[in-house]
Amino acid sequence: MNPTDTTVGVRALTKRYGSRTALAALDLAAGPGVTGLLGPNGAGKTTLLRCLATTLAPDGGEIRLLGLDPADRAQRTELRRRLGYLPQDPGFYPHFTAFELVDYIAILKEMNDRRARHAEVRRVLAEVDLADRAATKVRKLSGGMKQRLAFAQTLLGDPELLILDEPTVGLDPEQRMRFRALVSRLGEGRTVLLSTHQTEDVAALCERVVVVGGGRAVFTGTPAGLAATAAGQVWLSERPPAGRQLFWRTADGRYRALGERPEGAEPAVPGVEDGYLLLLGDTAAVAA
Amino acid sequence: MNDTGAAPRPSGPAPWHLPADLAGRYAAGRLDPAQTMSVEAHLERCARCRAAIPADAGWLAASWERVADIVDRPRAGVAERLLCRCGVPQHLARLLTATPALSRAWLGSVAAVLAFAVLAGLASTFAVPVGRAGVLLAFLLLAPILPTAGIAAAYGTRVDPGHELQAATPMAGPRLLLLRALAVQVTAVTLTGLCAPFLPGPPGLVAAWVLPSLGLTAAVLALTRLVPVQPAAAGISACWAAAVLVYGGWADDLFAAFRPPAQALYAITALVLLPVLLTRYRRADHWRYR
Repeated sequence: MNPTDTTVGVRALTKRYGSRTALAALDLAAGPGVTGLLGPNGAGKTTLLRCLATTLAPDGGEIRLLGLDPADRAQRTELRRRLGYLPQDPGFYPHFTAFELVDYIAILKEMNDRRARHAEVRRVLAEVDLADRAATKVRKLSGGMKQRLAFAQTLLGDPELLILDEPTVGLDPEQRMRFRALVSRLGEGRTVLLSTHQTEDVAALCERVVVVGGGRAVFTGTPAGLAATAAGQVWLSERPPAGRQLFWRTADGRYRALGERPEGAEPAVPGVEDGYLLLLGDTAAVAA
Repeated sequence: MNDTGAAPRPSGPAPWHLPADLAGRYAAGRLDPAQTMSVEAHLERCARCRAAIPADAGWLAASWERVADIVDRPRAGVAERLLCRCGVPQHLARLLTATPALSRAWLGSVAAVLAFAVLAGLASTFAVPVGRAGVLLAFLLLAPILPTAGIAAAYGTRVDPGHELQAATPMAGPRLLLLRALAVQVTAVTLTGLCAPFLPGPPGLVAAWVLPSLGLTAAVLALTRLVPVQPAAAGISACWAAAVLVYGGWADDLFAAFRPPAQALYAITALVLLPVLLTRYRRADHWRYR
């Protein structure tokens, strides 16, 4: 990536929780567009995104976001004015209405003029198709609606950097398609970083993908590049492979195997999921 | 469907539309109320006539914006309206009154504790003198701790379900904590002050909790530069209780920590150090990102 295009720069980032290392000298660079973080549970994705969202201080390493250093108090405040963050587990105030919750966050984002703030709240609720639920109490919203509501608050103020931790959790297939369309549109001209378990989301949405494993970035490239790492290692067979290699039964009743060629198997076109599973092996398979 | 929005009928009169002069007088606002209502009833059903009425698109959009604002905006409660009347900006009034951590549960528990203290005080007036002194000491010990407990309940991951959503906003950190601490302090001092006259004891002693209260709040805020709010509040409260009891025992006077020499110390802490602390505090790098 051209250094002048880099809006997110991370170098040798480390974070430990007691004796457990969550991030081990992780390097990352991203620019405008959608960058996906893939990795199994416990790989360090959420810790990385929390550090980037300025809600968690790393133990070591450097972060530069939009040219600002979050370790500096004044620059961190400026950065918070220019980023939107969707946590993995956004807490809600159940007695708030959808409008009140987003309005509350808008106040915390220093939108002090009431009329302009309310117009902005209506805009972001409309972006996530919740305009007609503005007056509904949060406790009465479905899981998918709550997820969209949490996403709506990230859009307040049209931020230059969006950090989304597992944004598609709880969305049904139709909502997920709409979400992909919205994020694709948002990714034009701004930087979107999202973490997900869904390799389909990465293949459909992301221009770049970073696979995180053991607190490090073990792959950085395009989704096509990730799929290409599995070339010559993906097979389809009529019977389950005899060895201990990764395999699963597909919808047409055949077996998709990764690694060594099983007896009688024929080669298959590799996908992002194949590359991801081969890269992280059993760890990823268990998490998936 | 025809252009009036009504279903086509097999026979009947041709659809009627507003004559140009009537439409012009309506647009200019020169119709009487009855005519205006009649025209508007027609316009509701007739897209062709609606399109013929000249309208300022900007004015129309702004009008809808104002209507939507009235329909959608959160209803201001009594506390929010009161704060606005007192000159607090609307967004701050909203922030303080809507914050769940500062809401009814905490206020209710403070009021309950104070009511209990007052009832115990009133009951003890009919009991032995030692009981009255004990009630007063308990009140003086507890009253300064209440605001620190409120501050501990007002900010942080463990007590605020929406903390992570808020943590990445520019207001998060010292600004938000100070704002909530101020709201807690004012509320607690007001409620406690209302209860104090009902307690047994001389007026000076009954009011001896005010300065310690400000001093403890200042100490908690100072300590949050190093540790999260909850351990800071717990530690300061424990130190306060121990200091009162130990000093009282050492001086052979249960109320020694509330006599004029000690009050002077609290006054110095609260009135001299507090403004300096708060000014520096906002500029401090607050226990790294929380």
